[in-house]
Amino acid sequence: MPDGGEALSHDELEEAFGSDLGAGPSTSATATPSAPHEAPAQPPMGAERSAVEGVPSWSEFAHGWELGIYRDPVLCGVFAGVVLGVLGVFVVLRRAVFVTAAVSQAAGLGVALAFYLELTLHAHIPPVLAALALALGATAVLTYRMQRMRLPSETLVGLIYLAASAGAILVGDRIAQESHDIASILFGTAVLVRPMDLALVVGAGTITLIVISAGYRGFLFAGFDPEGASVHRLPVRLLDLSLWVLVALEVSVTTRAIGALPVFAFAVAPAMAALALLERVRWALALAAALGGLAGGLGYLFAFFYEFPVGASQATLSLLFLLICLPLARVLRGSAA
Amino acid sequence: MSRVGEPKLLLASRSVEVGYLGQAILPPVSVEIREGEFWAIIGRNGSGKTTWLKTMLGLLPPVRGRVEHGHAGLRLSYLPQRKAIDELYPLLARDVVRMGLDRGWSFVRPWLGREHPEVTSALEEMGVNDLADEPFRRLSEGQKQRVLFARLSVSRAELAVLDEPTSAMDQVAEHEAFTLLDGLRERRGLAIVIVSHYLGMVRRFADRALLLDRDTGTAVSGAPAEVFADDRFHARFSERPPALKTLEDGDA
Repeated sequence: MPDGGEALSHDELEEAFGSDLGAGPSTSATATPSAPHEAPAQPPMGAERSAVEGVPSWSEFAHGWELGIYRDPVLCGVFAGVVLGVLGVFVVLRRAVFVTAAVSQAAGLGVALAFYLELTLHAHIPPVLAALALALGATAVLTYRMQRMRLPSETLVGLIYLAASAGAILVGDRIAQESHDIASILFGTAVLVRPMDLALVVGAGTITLIVISAGYRGFLFAGFDPEGASVHRLPVRLLDLSLWVLVALEVSVTTRAIGALPVFAFAVAPAMAALALLERVRWALALAAALGGLAGGLGYLFAFFYEFPVGASQATLSLLFLLICLPLARVLRGSAA
Repeated sequence: MSRVGEPKLLLASRSVEVGYLGQAILPPVSVEIREGEFWAIIGRNGSGKTTWLKTMLGLLPPVRGRVEHGHAGLRLSYLPQRKAIDELYPLLARDVVRMGLDRGWSFVRPWLGREHPEVTSALEEMGVNDLADEPFRRLSEGQKQRVLFARLSVSRAELAVLDEPTSAMDQVAEHEAFTLLDGLRERRGLAIVIVSHYLGMVRRFADRALLLDRDTGTAVSGAPAEVFADDRFHARFSERPPALKTLEDGDA
């Protein structure tokens, strides 16, 4: 695997958890509650297992947290959820939900290509950079061509999604020894997050939040009434470009860290829930951030205690929030009327 | 250039041909829009009115000719057709009006706040202050248009361009809208260019009209009465267009 700073050395992990990582979130994309894990669950040293054999306990989680094994992925999930929740509000308002899906798949292909080139040509390309390059490329094609195509813009989004997904699977097939990492990226089953990935997620997220905060009114005006904003000499094209570059940046970095599936879920479901429920953009941004962060953190805990894949758990929790908010919005509107 | 005693020149179309991909859809148009004038752009559906407006505003490049601003830093404001405004955005009426304050890069200034006194006074001026904290997307068509007029008002524009702002209104609301715009013109010296299909209102409020028609290659400008008397106008409309007829009968 291309390096990027391991969270803990193999010896440290063995010391903490025995010969494997012990109980916790499943690393299998197809895991079910009854599915056997890749290795038997082992309690970390110094931690007590729960009374029910094989069921992860809080003390186990707390011990892993202290070691940083669970802390980093939880923080990563929370931070990614918050930032993608905020960004997702603008993505949903721009009616570009599937652009995020296509860009996240392109980022996944970038990571897969980085692994492939490392193994076959010994060319060291940091996976995050490869992910960013392909995500930006996909974004550039989408934003450039969408204005010029005679076909509906969705067709190009679908094409990029299809090409990136197929490409990642094909490339992954040729790097069998790393296929687990590829699956982790594509399906969001990564249990561990390296400090470097966490740092990148925090860094990219901070940049995203700063730009969104600084250009908040501009992004709104340019989206609500682009022609009116242009006549007022707002830099509408630059604002549009900035938004999609931020999407590409955030998606590529978070895809490498937590996988494509939860990234897409965080960028869509919390924003939809917030926009359905609230009549103010600022409040919708705050709620989307909160729901995204909760889905990221609680999703990991759910995966840990019930031994499900992490990404799917985080995505499911995002959808659960949406399913709660939709009828709630209807009730609130009914009472307001 | 403005002559002594003439209202200040704001925007000039110098033999401007408009169209797409280098193909002109209308003959050359030469008009001058001056401070305090009320221009009505008239023509059938698909006659090129919006294309001409967008070219004048710099949203589309002219095929030939040139658009001139009367002075540097001319303050323009534009109210596009309603379909160009995205009502998915959960904005309060007050938020929409405040957009009128933003120009250039001013949106990065956090102190240009929502409670700006000009926003409140513009809402009051348009009679929608009580709707300030209502979601824009839940307002009636007439209320939305008043809020958007308040945005025009707060923008301190010298020239306001409106593309079919009354298309979703009944006759009473439409008359109120024209009256509000005319009031803005009188109080502020604002020049107004409006696309409208309501010829009765054009005759009553506008002091300049421009008839455009891409099918016959027509561009006629002048006082509304002159344009309505032009043979090319009658060729494209009925002998006496219903709206005009109603107004004349009512006036009589």
